[in-house]
Amino acid sequence: MMRKLFLLGTGAFWIAVLMVWAGARWLPSVPEQALPPTEKRFTLEEIARHASPEDCWMAIERTVYDLTPYLPEHPSRSGIVDPWCGKEATEAYRTKMKGRPHSPEADHLLTQYRVGALEEP
Amino acid sequence: MHAHRPLAIPLISATLVGLTVFWAFPENLGFWRSVAIVSGWAGCGLLAASLLLMIREARLAAWLGGLESMYRWHHRLGVSAYLALLVHPLALATAGWSEAPALAWAMLAPWQQGWPVWLGWAALLCLMTGLALALSPAMPYARWRGLHNLLALAIVLALGHLLLLGLDYLLLWSPLLALALILWRFLRADLGLAATPHVVARVDHPSAEVVEVRLQPLAHPLAARPGQFVLAAFLDGPGFRGCGEYHPYTISAVAPDGEIALGIKALGDCTRHLQTVVPGVAVRIEGPFGDFLNERPAGPELWLAGGIGITPFLGVLRSGPLPHPVRLIYLHRNEHDATFRDEIATLAKIQPRLAPDIIACGDRLPDLAALLPAAPDLAGHECYLCGPPGLLAAAVRLLRQRSVSPARIHFEHFDFR
Repeated sequence: MMRKLFLLGTGAFWIAVLMVWAGARWLPSVPEQALPPTEKRFTLEEIARHASPEDCWMAIERTVYDLTPYLPEHPSRSGIVDPWCGKEATEAYRTKMKGRPHSPEADHLLTQYRVGALEEP
Repeated sequence: MHAHRPLAIPLISATLVGLTVFWAFPENLGFWRSVAIVSGWAGCGLLAASLLLMIREARLAAWLGGLESMYRWHHRLGVSAYLALLVHPLALATAGWSEAPALAWAMLAPWQQGWPVWLGWAALLCLMTGLALALSPAMPYARWRGLHNLLALAIVLALGHLLLLGLDYLLLWSPLLALALILWRFLRADLGLAATPHVVARVDHPSAEVVEVRLQPLAHPLAARPGQFVLAAFLDGPGFRGCGEYHPYTISAVAPDGEIALGIKALGDCTRHLQTVVPGVAVRIEGPFGDFLNERPAGPELWLAGGIGITPFLGVLRSGPLPHPVRLIYLHRNEHDATFRDEIATLAKIQPRLAPDIIACGDRLPDLAALLPAAPDLAGHECYLCGPPGLLAAAVRLLRQRSVSPARIHFEHFDFR
């Protein structure tokens, strides 16, 4: 019984992962929302070149931020934020301590560091 | 039989899961993101509950209804935890899907993430591989035990995943509890800190593939009763190197001075090697566990023993006069396999309430329909069964057909994987 549940669960999990991959590969993306026409776009590869606390870019909710000047002011331990430099950090931004998102103030603060939009893959 | 607390384990598990999820419950988040967080923490709570049932302490086992019940729930809760943890990344991806399929994939693809997600994936894959192996019935015991450690590694990696996500230290109590329980089990049971030292005092060979060892306590004697079992690890002695693994053995006799006897059949590499054990070998004992044949209700009894399954019954027969009439059906393969047959015949002469049937039935499952008493002759009987799983399953089925209620059918599986 437990073995069957394990096999069913594992099979369903990998099928779901494959479906997400296939969706990302072949499904059309949602049309881009109103972004300034002149805004620069960056790929994840370009963002990955800014992966240190001294040069720290992150993609959050498809917008790219240069957070280098803000890092020293961030309230949590540097070990929490620094690993996200150069990465798609939406998940980390939305699930701060106790699974809660950042405050509206933080959202507002973030806009000051905006440098562009995330390029569609 | 065991202290009947059928709700104890489900209640403890529900409390652990409930507290974990309550502590971490998300506020003001989207539906799928909330599902992801709740499923992750529910998985942590279920893992902690599953690991609590892996602790091999005699008192805890007696309180929770026996090691068998604990191990059954250990499996159930472990697989439930795994299923909940599988939902965690999928729910995160589903939350991203509504914005863009590419974002959903970015949540799952490790190469688009960093250490926190890598550790999460490593923990999940360790859990997946460890469970696949743990649920594999054909794997040799020693390898199975070694690979079981992958499951402990999964807990360590999961803790790393949570720490790197920057979660509040207080929130980490359930994964830290899980880790503490693993350490407890390792130190107390696997390293044997909870075991009491004994030494082999005498060795008898009642049949070709069975050895009966008498063990003298070197510290305080166990409060053991016939029909219970212990976990014993045989170490080294004069000209003998023990395999040092803990295996369950039924107590076949308890002496007033604390000496206990164990009947051991050659069933695997370790028990085959034990057929050559000699007096003077050091043994570490954990237990006693179980209460098969203890606190039996008044009334006639049917005992069905298959092969080495005779040992708990022998322990009771050796311990003194039977209080109730007992019909003993002892099935064995052939003349060489009839362990203790002569002793049972001798005991029948001094136990007037004992009616033994010692039957050789070859390698096939015997015709139980003909061997077991008819329904009218079973009325009012308590039925005690001990033997191989196939024999037990067939006997239980037949007894149920003959209107014996499940409450009157008692047996233990001794399957501790």
